[in-house]
Amino acid sequence: MPDISFSADRPLPEGVRDLLFADAAAWRDMEAALRRTWAAWGYGEIILPTFEYAHTLATDVGSALDAEMYRFFDRHGRTLALRPDLTIPTARVVGTRLYDQPLPLRIAYAGSVFRYEPPRAGRQHEFTQVGVELIGAGGQAADAEVVALAVAALRAVGLPEFKITLGHVGFFRGLLAALNLPERLAADVRAAVDRKAEAELAALLAEAANLPPLARRAVLDLPQLTGDASVLTRAETTCLNTTMMAALAELRGVARLLEGYGVADAVSYDLAEVRDLDYYTGVTFEGFAPGLGFAVISGGRYDDLIGHFGPPLPAVGWALTLDRVLLAAELQGRRTPEPTADVLLAAHGCPACLAWANEARGRGLRVVLDLEGLDAPALWAQAQARGIPRAVRHDDAVLQVQDAAGVRSLALTDQEEVLRWLNR
Amino acid sequence: MAEPLIVALPKGRLTDDALAYLERAGYGLPTKGDNGRKLVLEGSDGRLRFIMAKPADVPIFVEYGAADLGIVGLDVVREAARDVYEPLSLPFGRCRLVVAGRADRPDRPLRLERSPRIATKFPRLTEAFFRARGLAPELIVMSGSVELAPLVGLADLIVDLVQTGSTLRENGLTELRVILESQAMLIANRASYRLRAGEVRGLIDALARATAD
Repeated sequence: MPDISFSADRPLPEGVRDLLFADAAAWRDMEAALRRTWAAWGYGEIILPTFEYAHTLATDVGSALDAEMYRFFDRHGRTLALRPDLTIPTARVVGTRLYDQPLPLRIAYAGSVFRYEPPRAGRQHEFTQVGVELIGAGGQAADAEVVALAVAALRAVGLPEFKITLGHVGFFRGLLAALNLPERLAADVRAAVDRKAEAELAALLAEAANLPPLARRAVLDLPQLTGDASVLTRAETTCLNTTMMAALAELRGVARLLEGYGVADAVSYDLAEVRDLDYYTGVTFEGFAPGLGFAVISGGRYDDLIGHFGPPLPAVGWALTLDRVLLAAELQGRRTPEPTADVLLAAHGCPACLAWANEARGRGLRVVLDLEGLDAPALWAQAQARGIPRAVRHDDAVLQVQDAAGVRSLALTDQEEVLRWLNR
Repeated sequence: MAEPLIVALPKGRLTDDALAYLERAGYGLPTKGDNGRKLVLEGSDGRLRFIMAKPADVPIFVEYGAADLGIVGLDVVREAARDVYEPLSLPFGRCRLVVAGRADRPDRPLRLERSPRIATKFPRLTEAFFRARGLAPELIVMSGSVELAPLVGLADLIVDLVQTGSTLRENGLTELRVILESQAMLIANRASYRLRAGEVRGLIDALARATAD
């Protein structure tokens, strides 16, 4: 072995990483599967800029992201920011450019986003979101399409096991309205519900002295309202007003449609999901996979965002974190082999071999040329070292093929054999 | 047989109570005789697997889903500030996180301190407590014997856990404020709560019944 010296003084900045061959191949395979899926559902891709004016991205609707943005200045001193998600830029495009196009719009995107957040579960500061937005359509049919597409997408990328948990912000909002608690207490109740802290909820309600028994019951039941579709029936007795009833009716409608889509087994329900309560306006959902403690996909209805950039339009969508989906698939046993070639070809001093290589490549064979003029044993050794299953050299008018089975001759014109290599 | 649920338990003063309540809730415990060195233990009925962790690491195991559930003090949960569910409070491990100082310190409100130097094992909670009161604390993060710090002039105040208060008294310290009343908590991973909903719910309910008796 030659003396290997390497330089350790070129560190990467915090939050970014490289993906090498096998990972990159798995990555692109998944992206391709997602593109096929969204195309089959009639969604069209848009490609969005990596940075924009910070005040465009920092809408008060998505304010949780505000603190996590990478900001910098352009040469005029205006503040720019790297996009922290792709929904806001999509909303800008729709609000400023596409608002008078035939509705609904079905939009898809894939790209890096950037957030200052601690790297967790495969997600660095730079990570890749792939998502869809269905804009200009309200109601259960639109909600159900987007949820069903989420299931289809996760199935398409080859994630064997996962669960989408569906909720509705109207249910908890209605409950809060019915409780009519002092602001401080309401915030505490919300935080406790967010953590499913059942005992803490009971303690908080003790502070609200004159709460009707029915309302008290409703809050205490809330953390239990999670599970399969039977939750939607159980929750009926919890409803205190029309807001809660409307949310529940909408979820039931979506649940029925999801059965039609054939994805009901991949969906569960959680009426106590109060995350991003201020951003979403209707159904919300998150997807989880075994072994990965964090959500791989999240989405919901956000009817208030597009109006920040143009005429208000209802909208529903999701984004998955490709980095996490890849990790989740690996945790479930998915392995992507190192990409390699089918043939190592010694074409030194053989123009006819180059023509042969061209033709083979045209048929889809992956052909790597030996550039050094190696002899037969060295060529085969080289092929083995690179994981290439066969080495080919020319010998007058014939090709000598060496593989694990041994050496044999092949006519330069014999592309039948090449096709057989392809199929293996 | 399905895979067991994985429960992260804190090594130390909460271990025995945590195991006792899980047993009362009907779960098989690890067989005795592992002399406390093994870090992963199998429950005798195959329904639970136990990870024995440092208390501060329990929320991390649970957040990442390396454990489906965990039992640990509320003080540790709040200090770790990890994204986990907290479905149940358990009736043991009661203690309080307090601000304490030398018993002979002048009697004046904390808010008039200039920039108190505070020794603690709970930097996040300490920082938040003093910042919320308009003070800029200088934190000295220690990993043991925090009570020592004011005695040798390393810190003006300490923030530490107190059960009876006798350790403080023996070291000439006195309790000034309570930051947090703590007790043991059952915490759950957000994904496991959904993906293994039936088993997780079963354990929460069984533990709730066991602790209500």
